[in-house]
Amino acid sequence: MTDRNRNQLARTWIVLVAIVLSGMLAVAFQGRAPVVASAVLVLALIKARLIILDFMGLRSGPAAIRRGLLAWPLILALVAAAQLFITGMPSV
Amino acid sequence: MDARVTSDIEAGEEAPADELLLWILVWSELAAFGILLVAFLVTGFLQADAFAAGRSELNPLLAGINTLVLLTSGWQAALAARKSALPGERRRALVMAALLGFIFVAIKLTEYSGELASGDLARFGAFFELYFLITGFHLLHVVFGGLILLLVAWRQTPGNVTLITTLWHVIDLIWIVMFPIIYLV
Repeated sequence: MTDRNRNQLARTWIVLVAIVLSGMLAVAFQGRAPVVASAVLVLALIKARLIILDFMGLRSGPAAIRRGLLAWPLILALVAAAQLFITGMPSV
Repeated sequence: MDARVTSDIEAGEEAPADELLLWILVWSELAAFGILLVAFLVTGFLQADAFAAGRSELNPLLAGINTLVLLTSGWQAALAARKSALPGERRRALVMAALLGFIFVAIKLTEYSGELASGDLARFGAFFELYFLITGFHLLHVVFGGLILLLVAWRQTPGNVTLITTLWHVIDLIWIVMFPIIYLV
């Protein structure tokens, strides 16, 4: 159960939609360039944070569960960023 | 089970055991998808050319639209899970969340049909095997979650609403992280 009210949830949804649209525009105009992929990864982390804190109501929930959930997207994004970095390096 | 616990459950309040079960379910989903996505990234590193070619067959525009659909569904699920929501509002929000989930399924199936029409997928190495495994597993969660949302809209208790809306947000969260990893990285 979330203690956010209707207006707060609507604001979060509007921010999420704006983030998705900005990512879609970046992909539409710049393709799958590493810089776009990195930017969309960062946007995914922001979206994940808003879902966990506002939609799941964990802004005021148990800290251990909140930290654990916030760590899951962060770890995957770091692995993905590492792959982007390694594959983007010129081969010797 | 003593009388107080029984009456709490009948009143639809969450017992500590229910909450523990919920978080075990959440973490089992996150662990399963986490392992699959790391496997996708590692295989993509080993088969970089095949994965780059495979990605070029995907449709990030449809996936972006699906992200908007699933986030809107998550918003409806959050509206249903408000402590102050009235039963009628809760029912409407749960049904809307489910319907948006089924729209996600329809868009994803459209996307699959385009990909399957692109010829011999084996030339992309393990890309499409992992792609269909991961996104298909996620899609099954959306179908199952949508049906449970409808069931809970019909037979509401606060505990059931918390359980399914939390799992629905986790399905949403998994898609949010899956999108850049599968379509872009």
